[in-house]
Amino acid sequence: MPTEVILPKVDMDMTAGTLSVWHVAEGDFVAKGAPLFDIETDKAAMEVESPASGHVHNMVAPGQSVAVGAPVAWIYAKDEPVTAPPASAARADGVGTAPSIVPPRPAAPQPAAPQEVHHDPRQRATPAARRLARETGVDLRHVAGSGPKGRVQRADIDNRAHGQPQHGAAQLPSGWSVQPGDLHLTRRAGRDTAPLFLIHGFAADSTGWAPLERALPKDQPLLRLDLPGHGKSPRRSLRSFAELARAVVAAFDASGADQVHLVGHSLGGALALALADIRPRKILSLTLIAPSGLGPEIDAPVLNGIARASRVESLLPWLRRLTADPDRLGEDYARAALRGRLDPQLRAAQLDLATALFPDDVQAFDLTAALRRVTARTAIIWGRADRIIPWRHALAARGDMALHLLPECGHIPHIDTPETVAGILARQMA
Amino acid sequence: MNAPAHPSRTLSYAEALREAMALALESDPNVVLMGEDIGVYGGAFQVTGDLIDRFGPDRVMDTPISELGGAGVAVGAALTGLRPIYEFQFSDFAALAMEQIVNQAAKMRFMLGGEASVPLVFRMPSGSGTGAAAQHSQSFEAWFGHVPGLKVVQPSTPYDAKGLLLAALADPDPVIIFEHKLLYKMKGDVPAGHYTIPIGKAEIRREGTDITIIAGAIMVHRALEAAETLAADGISAEVIDLRSVRPIDSATIIASVCKTGRALCVFEGVRTLGLGAEISALIAESDAFDYLEAPIMRLGGAEAPIPYNPDLERAAVPQVDGIERAVRKLVGGEV
Amino acid sequence: MSRAVQVATDNLPFVIRQYAPAQLRAALKKMYLIRRFEEGAEESYARGLIHGTMHLSIGQEASAVASCLELSDQDKITSTHRGHGHCIAKGADVGRMFAEFFGKQTGYCHGRGGSMHIADVKTGNLGANGIVGGGLPIAVGSALTAKRQGKPDVTVCFFGDGANNEGAFHEALNMASVWQLPVVFICENNKYGMSTSVERSTAVARISDRAAAYAMPGETVDGNDFSAVAQAAHTAIARARSGQGPSLIENLTYRIRGHSKSDRNRYRTKDEIESWVAKDPITRFRAQLVSHGILTDADAAALLLEAEAEVAAGIEFAKSSAAPDIADVTRYVHAEDAI
Repeated sequence: MPTEVILPKVDMDMTAGTLSVWHVAEGDFVAKGAPLFDIETDKAAMEVESPASGHVHNMVAPGQSVAVGAPVAWIYAKDEPVTAPPASAARADGVGTAPSIVPPRPAAPQPAAPQEVHHDPRQRATPAARRLARETGVDLRHVAGSGPKGRVQRADIDNRAHGQPQHGAAQLPSGWSVQPGDLHLTRRAGRDTAPLFLIHGFAADSTGWAPLERALPKDQPLLRLDLPGHGKSPRRSLRSFAELARAVVAAFDASGADQVHLVGHSLGGALALALADIRPRKILSLTLIAPSGLGPEIDAPVLNGIARASRVESLLPWLRRLTADPDRLGEDYARAALRGRLDPQLRAAQLDLATALFPDDVQAFDLTAALRRVTARTAIIWGRADRIIPWRHALAARGDMALHLLPECGHIPHIDTPETVAGILARQMA
Repeated sequence: MNAPAHPSRTLSYAEALREAMALALESDPNVVLMGEDIGVYGGAFQVTGDLIDRFGPDRVMDTPISELGGAGVAVGAALTGLRPIYEFQFSDFAALAMEQIVNQAAKMRFMLGGEASVPLVFRMPSGSGTGAAAQHSQSFEAWFGHVPGLKVVQPSTPYDAKGLLLAALADPDPVIIFEHKLLYKMKGDVPAGHYTIPIGKAEIRREGTDITIIAGAIMVHRALEAAETLAADGISAEVIDLRSVRPIDSATIIASVCKTGRALCVFEGVRTLGLGAEISALIAESDAFDYLEAPIMRLGGAEAPIPYNPDLERAAVPQVDGIERAVRKLVGGEV
Repeated sequence: MSRAVQVATDNLPFVIRQYAPAQLRAALKKMYLIRRFEEGAEESYARGLIHGTMHLSIGQEASAVASCLELSDQDKITSTHRGHGHCIAKGADVGRMFAEFFGKQTGYCHGRGGSMHIADVKTGNLGANGIVGGGLPIAVGSALTAKRQGKPDVTVCFFGDGANNEGAFHEALNMASVWQLPVVFICENNKYGMSTSVERSTAVARISDRAAAYAMPGETVDGNDFSAVAQAAHTAIARARSGQGPSLIENLTYRIRGHSKSDRNRYRTKDEIESWVAKDPITRFRAQLVSHGILTDADAAALLLEAEAEVAAGIEFAKSSAAPDIADVTRYVHAEDAI
């Protein structure tokens, strides 16, 4: 039985070493204790002596990294027949068996360059005040702090909570309240009728419904959702339309709404369609404004441009593509739109979403099947001058659905001509 | 806590410690006292006093001036069945015995997989205020509190001194008791019999609603004095006597800060990387964070050895006026 | 007994005169066991089954076994980072030792100590020690316990030549002498503290000369001569047991292997190592026993086989033992019924 020569562990923490040079040639006789080979670890080179006397065979080529305990050669007695290397007596856990050549470790991934994150100047507040504000729905940004450097103290929130009945009243028009749930959902109370549930489009937020709200009856109850990564909802990067749709359904369920008239614009239209498909009994009517998901074409560069823009100058040209009459959109509009887009995490989340939903400038999700299944009364509104999604996608509609193709209107009919849209909604809710 | 069954008398802190040791020597033949000049001299601070007359030199053993060897002998004796109480003349001299305390006593049970026990008490006179300068005035509670395997206590009253020393003696693991030198003469009610104070339990010395002051040893008294003055101005301070540095009673601290919303840590050891830092962190990591109405603040020893000049010496560690100022800042919304 | 026989007996080596043949055969077996244990540990280390490092005492077996020959389980030893031999000499089981080296829960320290803290408290081994000189004051404390409790137990304190320059050595010897404690200090002088020779590090020619400073007997013996080591230990242990206080013995010996697994042997020559291989304490003791008719070469070979079988079984036990539970990372820091 030949004697196994292993690569010995010669240093703490050593798991492998490089056999750098043999002191003998294949078949040479070596005496026990004579230098046999050198190994290199990351700390030092070291000579290894022969564990037995005899002829050396089955030698591992020099320059290789070998695991500790793995055989590197076998020593045979004078007349012993040389065969293929016997099975190693190596360790039971399987590490270091056979002439195990350790592959070079892949270069460690370069740590990503730290992203420069510009934080919005946050309101100073004590942890106690923050907790209380969270619990009572008060937006700290609208509270004047009485502490040092204007820090909001617990008492400032207490006073506010007692002095003003409406939570979050500061940033919301009167009559509005924040609904519980993971996503930011606001409610405007009104007369005793089913509310309109509004889902905005990509890179917009719920404040974009304001022109339409002004055109609707004042006592029309409303629910407005901010999508993930939009408006005041958490900056979450989603990887697929399905994930996004699940978040919307969860938010809808959390709102506790019984039955609603559902309205969605663009990406929100696709999500409204998905929601109607999943919760058909909750949806009294469905109104889709230039919805996505009904065909492959889309002007994705516009969406990316909006999502990326961090300055008025870079935002305005893209915004102008949304409307049929670009002159209607000036710098003031862009500045107002940008105010909601200052958070770099929001922009990053939206860019991630654009990549997931519109790879290679194509709508990667198809809701035409859902459209065929819809049971609620359905209307589709589209501007004939829409430059983002072609209005011809509306032709996917079923014959019993109402099509409203608006001339001289772009991708945002609810902003371009809110009165028209409000009129259509009135008929939907009748 | 074992309720004391005997009537209280007024004893000094040093007398309370001596009474604890006398009780232990009486009740357990394996208890031995070891240390430099603890015999006929009575100890550098007269804590062992006349114990040698009552128990003889075999049980109240003067050691050579060999802190490393002495501490090691105590470790070996504890490992094999005695229950030694080893007195360092000054806690500063424990630096000479770090090896035996930190590498041996603290780790013996663990290194031997629970097969050995080192029931040993190290007594360490500690702290500044006596004009003894840089090498005889330090506060090393945090040093030793950093070592798993050790328990560290610092009584602030005669009652606690006796109860914590008896608890340390009953403990199967090494315990270090820091005795503040300025407290040795302090008088207080001490019951006559055997009683213990649980190691790892803090004590609320004064209840309050506006701020929690967490302090140890002599600083407890300074905090109480400040609290008294502040009360006259309508500021209600709660004072927690930490008593045990390791294990630390985080529950008592957190509950108090949840109530008051403000925390001030007052310890004599050097502030940087000290007990105040640890307590600040444990508050910040706890439920109490959401109740904070002001930053957590630490008072501690200056970034200098303890100076000789009495005014400098005072300035090097927290004093009553400094505690008062810090509380006013925190409660008054200046920080 | 006739005068002629008396003379013949006096000329016999100490161990032949003093101990029964069975005791001597058992001693040889223990030396084999230590040697094979350490070789087995070395091989397991080379195969990556043992992590960290270890310090082998190959070549020093006479010092360990002969010094513990007269010790009972009640007698204590303190040991060093080179403590495998002491542990086995005091009666430990090699299976549980291997299990400890392999980091297993069945090890003597439940995988918390490893080679450097190997201990077997039940056979009176208070533990190897990772700190040079760390065990010296502890041994004095152990002897203090025996004296205070009126027990006849002796503590044997093993340490290396390196420790004789630690303050702990001087403080411990002084206190042991001042208090006349039953402790025997055994310095295993293997010529090097890591790489620094005794000549370069120690002011006195013989470490046993240090005994004079602490008013105790000091003796230097050939540490590879089993009989000489046993005789010196016998005298010192008897002295300690009878209340006459401590002694210092210096066993001149040699570690054939490097200081630890990272040693590149740059401070000594191959010739020097070879010259000490020729003075192998096991070979010498076996020849002595054979020449005095205590055993035959065949008996010795059988003892070696027994030792090898024990070592092989020990390694198997260690391999098949369970590892500690990760959740128990803070276990054994304090007594389990305490905090």
